[in-house]
Amino acid sequence: MSAARRERALVRPHVVTGGRARPTRNIFDLVTLVMAARSDLNGLNPEKRRVLELCRGGALSVAEVAGHLSLPISVTKVLLSDLVDSGHIVTRVGGTDDGETSTRLLQEVLDGLRARL
Amino acid sequence: MSAVAFVCLTAGLLVAVVLLVRERQISSRLRRRAGTLEETARVRDEELRHLVAVRTPALVESLYGKPVAVPGPRNPSFAGTSAEQGIRAILSMFTDYAERAKERADQSAKVTLKAMMRAVQSLANEQQLAISTMQERHDDPDVLEGLMRIDHMNAQLGRRAQATAVLCGSWPGQQRSAAALVDVVRGATSRIRDYLRIDVQPQSNIAVISRVVEPVVLAVAELLDNAARHSQPNTTVEVNFRQAHNGVAIVIDDAGVAMDAEEIQRAERLLSGRDSVDINRLGDPPQVGFAVVGVLAARYGFRVSVDSSSPYGGVRAVLFLPGELLTHLDTEPAPARSEPQPRRAEQPVWTEPRPVRAERPAPALPTAPSAPTLPAPPVVPTAPPAPSAPAMPAAPGMSGQVPSPAREQRAVTANGLPKRRRVTDTGEQPAPSIEPPPSTRPPREIAAGMGAWQRGTRAGRATGSPDSEGNIAE
Repeated sequence: MSAARRERALVRPHVVTGGRARPTRNIFDLVTLVMAARSDLNGLNPEKRRVLELCRGGALSVAEVAGHLSLPISVTKVLLSDLVDSGHIVTRVGGTDDGETSTRLLQEVLDGLRARL
Repeated sequence: MSAVAFVCLTAGLLVAVVLLVRERQISSRLRRRAGTLEETARVRDEELRHLVAVRTPALVESLYGKPVAVPGPRNPSFAGTSAEQGIRAILSMFTDYAERAKERADQSAKVTLKAMMRAVQSLANEQQLAISTMQERHDDPDVLEGLMRIDHMNAQLGRRAQATAVLCGSWPGQQRSAAALVDVVRGATSRIRDYLRIDVQPQSNIAVISRVVEPVVLAVAELLDNAARHSQPNTTVEVNFRQAHNGVAIVIDDAGVAMDAEEIQRAERLLSGRDSVDINRLGDPPQVGFAVVGVLAARYGFRVSVDSSSPYGGVRAVLFLPGELLTHLDTEPAPARSEPQPRRAEQPVWTEPRPVRAERPAPALPTAPSAPTLPAPPVVPTAPPAPSAPAMPAAPGMSGQVPSPAREQRAVTANGLPKRRRVTDTGEQPAPSIEPPPSTRPPREIAAGMGAWQRGTRAGRATGSPDSEGNIAE
């Protein structure tokens, strides 16, 4: 992927999450949307600050947050659930659209994949 | 006749007396000489014994690096004699040979160790990559837990190998781009056993230039490890940053045991990096920390001192980075972007159903005007997805500038293309609808799975009607 990804990450995940691998709550999937709910950054580590800065403008999906932070999804979930616990962010379930659109979309995706393969 | 005889006798006697006197004189001189020689021989014997019993062993000890004074001759009268000079010559030759042999042994040990450590280092790096790949691939706390432990151990392993290699005269390796000071310290924290006890105070936007990132990480890691090792397991090690007019100091305080004067002196000598490190003399277990830091400090131009005591009673280590090793990181793209984006997202204008899809393509054209306001553009070039480029031209007519909020939302949530979403519920700012948010977000940030989806939809659209390119919600 990008150069930033190829470079071995300087700060390893165990330091990012303080050694925890399990999110405190199991409410996230890739498309769950998160939004900033509080703006004080006190006592947060740099990654969490970054998440809040990212989410301040609006909703971001978990996958996007992970992408911005260059962190694995599972690590991102730990951070996000911490932030939910501390009230810094709130979540909104993604993919709540009407069935019609998503069927259409799935069809498009399918077409696209067929076209490529 | 008798007179003649008398004269003869007298003369004879006289001669005899003279001879006798001379003989006496000669013999007494000889006796004295013999005495002196005997004395000299005795002294020499004594000095030889002294040489064997005292001087040579002392010399050998001092060659082993012990703080022993090598004594001179025992008898002051012996000093300066030719024998003493000979002894001195022999001793200095002995010293020379010993030093040279030691150097050669040291060199060959270093070369061997260096080669071995290089292998270990590259294995550790490879392993780290494999671990990172797995961490990205598996979204399962159990797996992550295991991977984190392996990662942690691997990081320590890599650090040990790196430290040893540095002591052997190798470079720390690992080219890195400039990194924020906080991340440098946290990177160092990643590599020590007691990483949970390290408390790093926040520090904004000062960064370390790329050349010294790895060396500073390694040096800080050694200092942190030292601090954590020499303090109680229930205490924390605090890291602060202090800005000075010509640089920044990283201050590491532990609440352990302070060092005594002798230890400080030894530490300062090692930290100065002046003497070359003798890897055969690091002790058992080897004490490499300060030696490694000293080598790195001397080579890369930062300073480390441990002579002050910490307010918590332990040791305070200060690593001072002069201004020329520092830089400022550009504002990170994401936070910068977050500003313009909300504005756009909030546009009430997004009322038209279809345009939503145009979000992607629209950027191409409209971005031009809006570009100046966005700090993000620099990032855009790095965007890998080539496919989007062709898509853009097709979109001109259908400016997606007027998307409906409802649609917007729908597109966002339904298609699962996280790229496009930055939705805000509050529409307070009627910003120019021209710039579509997605354009500003570099695709690289999208998780791999998402990227595949996206490419799929795009290709699907491409094969459909060119006009509809970029339309998602449609």
